[in-house]
Amino acid sequence: MMDFLNYAINGLLLGQVYALLALGFVVIYRASKVFNFAQGELMLLGAYTVWSLSLGANLPPWLAIPVAFVAALAYGWLIERLFFSRLVGESVFSMVMVTIGLVILIRGVVLVIWGAADRQFPALLPTMPVIVGEVILPTSMLIGAGITLALTLSLWYFFNRTRAGLALTAVAEDPCTAISLGIAVKRAVTLAWMLGACIATIGAVILLNGRSLNVLSADVALAALPVALLAGLESIGGLMLAGAIVGIIQSLVAAYIDPKLGGSASSIVPFVFMLFILVVRPTGLFGWRNIERV
Amino acid sequence: MDPSGIFFTSHGSDRALVRTRPQAAALALLIAALALAPLVLSERWIALGYAMFIAMIAVIGLQICTGYAGQVNLGQSAFMGVGAYGCAWLLHFPQMPVVLALVLGGVAAAIFGALFGLTAARIKGFYLALTTIAAQAIFYFLVLNLPGEWLGGAGGLHLDNLQLMGFSLGNDRSIYWLTLAALMIMTTGAFGIIRSRHGRSFEAVRDDDVAAGMMGINVAAAKARAFLVAAFYAGIAGGLWAIALRHVSVEQFTLFNSIWMIAMMIVGGLGSIVGALIGTILIQLAREGVVSLGPQLVDLIPSAGQDIVFASMNVLLGTVIVLFLLFEPKGVMHRIEISKRAYRLWPFPY
Repeated sequence: MMDFLNYAINGLLLGQVYALLALGFVVIYRASKVFNFAQGELMLLGAYTVWSLSLGANLPPWLAIPVAFVAALAYGWLIERLFFSRLVGESVFSMVMVTIGLVILIRGVVLVIWGAADRQFPALLPTMPVIVGEVILPTSMLIGAGITLALTLSLWYFFNRTRAGLALTAVAEDPCTAISLGIAVKRAVTLAWMLGACIATIGAVILLNGRSLNVLSADVALAALPVALLAGLESIGGLMLAGAIVGIIQSLVAAYIDPKLGGSASSIVPFVFMLFILVVRPTGLFGWRNIERV
Repeated sequence: MDPSGIFFTSHGSDRALVRTRPQAAALALLIAALALAPLVLSERWIALGYAMFIAMIAVIGLQICTGYAGQVNLGQSAFMGVGAYGCAWLLHFPQMPVVLALVLGGVAAAIFGALFGLTAARIKGFYLALTTIAAQAIFYFLVLNLPGEWLGGAGGLHLDNLQLMGFSLGNDRSIYWLTLAALMIMTTGAFGIIRSRHGRSFEAVRDDDVAAGMMGINVAAAKARAFLVAAFYAGIAGGLWAIALRHVSVEQFTLFNSIWMIAMMIVGGLGSIVGALIGTILIQLAREGVVSLGPQLVDLIPSAGQDIVFASMNVLLGTVIVLFLLFEPKGVMHRIEISKRAYRLWPFPY
C-alpha cells in the first residue's frame, strides 16, 4: 500500500512538471491558435543558456536563472519579430508549418553553438529528496509543482481577468477584427511567444535538474502533449488536473505493468491515452467548443 | 497552360497527362537518360540516385496527404518504418518474392496509417497531426517491445541474397533500376489519384471542410483515405529502403525524418506532384553537398572545426526552409510555372 502511495504521489508530481511544459503550448495556442511544434526546441535553447551561464560563466544560481529568463524573453521576441510578425492574418496552416521549420532551424543553431556532445545539466535545485513518513519526494519535482501552481494561477488570472490577456484571446479568434478594434496584434503575439519561451526555460531547469542534456532532450516536450490535449488546448486551469491524471497513470503503469512486459509500456501510455481522449472527447476536459460556419 | 495553336477534340485527350508530342518526347528522353545513367555514373552517384527515388516516393505520399488533402502528417517516417519492417519480415521468414513482399509491406503501412486517419471522424484540424506523433511513439514501442525473434528488437533485421526475376539485388545498379521502376509506377499512380473523384474530394476538404461536407463529400472518410494513401506510399518507400540497405532498424525512422520530408515538400511546392519530386532533389542534393563540401570547408577555415561546419549547414538549410514558407509558400514549382508562362507569352506580359 505504501508503495502504491509512493508511486501515485511521484506520478502526481511528474504530471505537474508535464503540466508546466504544457503551459508553454497553451499560452501560444491561446494567443494565435498555432500549435507550436518547436516548444521542445525552445526548451533546448533555454536549457543550454542556463548551462552556459551557470557552468560556462560560473554565475551563482540566483543570478544565472533570472539572466536565463531574460535571454528566453529575448528568444521569444526574436522568433516573433523574424517569423511570425510577417504572418499576421495568414492561414494557421502556414504558421504551424513555420513552427515545424523552426524545429530544424533551432536544432541546427543549438548544434552550432553548443555542439552535439552530452552535457551535465547543473543541479540548480537541491537533489536530496524530502521524506515525509514513508513517502519519498524528489525536491526538484516538489518545487516544480509549486511553480506550476503559481504559474497556473497567475496565467489564469492574466488570460481571463486582465485586458491584455483578453486581447490575446481576441487576436487568436480573428486577427483582422482584432486589428480593426485597435488591439496591437503584433505586440500581443510577441507577448505570447516571450511567455512561451520563458515557461520552456522554467520547465528545463526543473526537469533536467542534474541530468544529462543533449539535442534529443527536446523530445521531452512531446510527453507534455497528452496533458495539453486532455485539458483542452485552451484551458489553463485544467492543466494541473490533466497533468495529475496523466502523471499518475504513467507512474502506476511504470511500477506495475512494465516489469511484467519487460519493456517500457509507460513511455507510450500517455500517447495511447491521448488517442483515446481525442476520439472520445476531441475538445478535452475543459476545451472550448466551436461552432463552424462556412 | 498550353502554347497557342494546340486544340483537343476529345475530353480524353484534354485530360491526358502527356498532352503533346514534344511532351511525350521529352518524357521518353528523361526516362531513357535516368535508366541509362548508372552505366556511366560512379557508385556514389548511383547510391544517391536510389536514395532520392525512395525519398521521392515517400514525399509524393506526403504531398497527397498534406498538399492535396490539407492534413498535416508527422508520421510519414513511422509509416515508412512499418512498410520496411513488413517487407523485411515477409522476405526473411516466409521468403516471399520481392515484389509481393513490397506490396504487402505497403498494405501493412496503409492499414497502420488508416487507423490514425480514422480518428478524423472525431477530430478536426491540427489535432489530427498530433495523432500522427502518437503513431511515431507506438511504432517505436511495438518494434522494440515485441519478442526479439519477431522483428529483431533493437538490433533490427538483416536481409541477404535477394533475387528479382533471376537478377541478384545485391549490387547498387539493380537497386537503382528497381527503385526507378517503382518511382515511375508510383508517380503515375499519384497523378491518377489526384485527377480522380478522390483527388477532387481531397482538394475540396483542404479548401474548406465544412463546405465540402455540405456538398455531399464524406469529410472524415476523405481524410482517412488521404492518410491511407500517404501511408501506402511511405510503406512502399520503406520496403525499398529495407531492400536497398539490406538492414532495417528503428533508428532509421525518426520523427525528425518526417520533418525533413515536410521540408522537401514545402521547398518543392505544396499541392504539386512534380513539386514533391523537385523539392526532394533539391534538399537531398543540398544535404549531399553538405556531406561532401564539409571537409573542404574545414580545411579552409581550420578554426571552425568539423562539428561546427556540419551543424551550420543544418542552420542554413533550416533557414532556407523557413524563408520559403515566409516568402514563397507555393515553393519552387510556382516559380517554374511563372517562368514557363512568361516564356510562352513573350514578348507580351499577359
